[in-house]
Amino acid sequence: MKVLDGTVDITKKVYDEEVIAARVKELGARITADYKGKELIVIGVIKGSVYFFSDLTRAIDLPIKIDMIGFGNIPDTTSRTGVVKITKDIDIDISGKHVLVVEDVIRTGLTTAYLIQNLEAKCPADIEIATMLLNPDRLLMTIPVKYYGFEISDSWLLGYGLDSNEVGRNLPFIAQLEKKS
Amino acid sequence: MAIITISRQNGSLGDELAQYLAGKLSCDIISRAYAMEHFFGGESEKLSDSARFFLTEVPGRPGVTYKDLLTEKIIKEADSSGKLIVLGLGGCAMLEDREDTVNIRVLASLDTRRKRIARRYNISEEEAESTIMVGDRKHKRFVSILFEQDLASPELYDLTLNTDDISVEECAAAVLALLEKKNERLKITSQTRSDESIDHQTVTPVFKNETEEEFAKILDMYGIEWMYEPKTFPIEWDAEGNIKMAFSPDFYLPKFNLYLELTTMDQKYVTKKNKKARMVMELYPGTNVRIVYKKDFQELIERLKQFGG
Repeated sequence: MKVLDGTVDITKKVYDEEVIAARVKELGARITADYKGKELIVIGVIKGSVYFFSDLTRAIDLPIKIDMIGFGNIPDTTSRTGVVKITKDIDIDISGKHVLVVEDVIRTGLTTAYLIQNLEAKCPADIEIATMLLNPDRLLMTIPVKYYGFEISDSWLLGYGLDSNEVGRNLPFIAQLEKKS
Repeated sequence: MAIITISRQNGSLGDELAQYLAGKLSCDIISRAYAMEHFFGGESEKLSDSARFFLTEVPGRPGVTYKDLLTEKIIKEADSSGKLIVLGLGGCAMLEDREDTVNIRVLASLDTRRKRIARRYNISEEEAESTIMVGDRKHKRFVSILFEQDLASPELYDLTLNTDDISVEECAAAVLALLEKKNERLKITSQTRSDESIDHQTVTPVFKNETEEEFAKILDMYGIEWMYEPKTFPIEWDAEGNIKMAFSPDFYLPKFNLYLELTTMDQKYVTKKNKKARMVMELYPGTNVRIVYKKDFQELIERLKQFGG
């Protein structure tokens, strides 16, 4: 596969472009119906959600506002493991507004829980989650996942925003990896 | 639910702290001036002049003193608004039986207070010192007469703040952090009263193994509040009602109302833990327990090395 150029070994395609597009369209229609007449701000999580976020927001037929949020592990003098900090905060005021956070994949839900905690401090009306992929068996945190594209198991996946050491995000489909490199 | 009582020395920035916290919490401040205006009407002058007058009976209410009336009004306000700041008035002594109260003492060195008062009222430092002394004496006398307590006694307070080197904002951050923790603790304590679980919150966390310690670090890394083994849930009783089996999940995440039990052990123990978790959720409705499996834990550890979604 030219896009990977031998950097990563793919076992099989799990969801191809047509399947993803159809599912995103369905989710967009549901979100459009659920938020009709409401002020909705859709926030994409950098970097994994970039393609899903881009397709999903265009499938929502409402005058939404969009923003993006990024976070990372920052070294900290008081902790050996460092701390998780927002590296790119949202620019739009979300107080009193409906917020939909868009993720690429949710496994344990710890990072999503972290984001929700941070966004809640900005006093939105409510926060819901949309994720392309969800592993319900691994979900530890009680987080409000309202919309998801596909349920997944423990396999390592790549493409449509998901990476392996930063490679493979730009694959237009979702594929299973031989094993995480 | 939260009541913050603030006892302060003159010139210690206690009033400013109360104002700042009231803004942050969007709540009212019951101060001496507020109480006189809203609670006592015609008698406010006598009450302002003499602390002893608080111990006299309220006309038409046999056995009820003005002190009782003050306490009654403050509790009524707290119960109706859900949060309240009581500034002075011996609030810490007045409400000592209420567990939803955080008692704060604000003080500063005489030198700092003298300078602040002199600057604020444009008076000499000597005059400022004399003002401070009179004010402090009055406060002390009021609490001593009404509640037979020494205002300066550290046992009356949950937190004492010296504003010599810390700002009002820094003091407020400390108070709000304490308030949040205390509210979390109260939530669990009140659940314990309404069911048969056992509260262990006063015990300092001593992790049983490295896995638990590592997991606590992961939660800290994500800024997720946790409590270690805060409760034990009895899940099986014998015919006489003695507890036969109980379950103490390792972590509680108050923000997510979620108990987590770690397991890095054999499958047979995992099955047993799963069964216990299920029983807790059945016997204690509204309680969420999840098992953190070995693979979850390994993945989280992996994230520490290569951070990602």
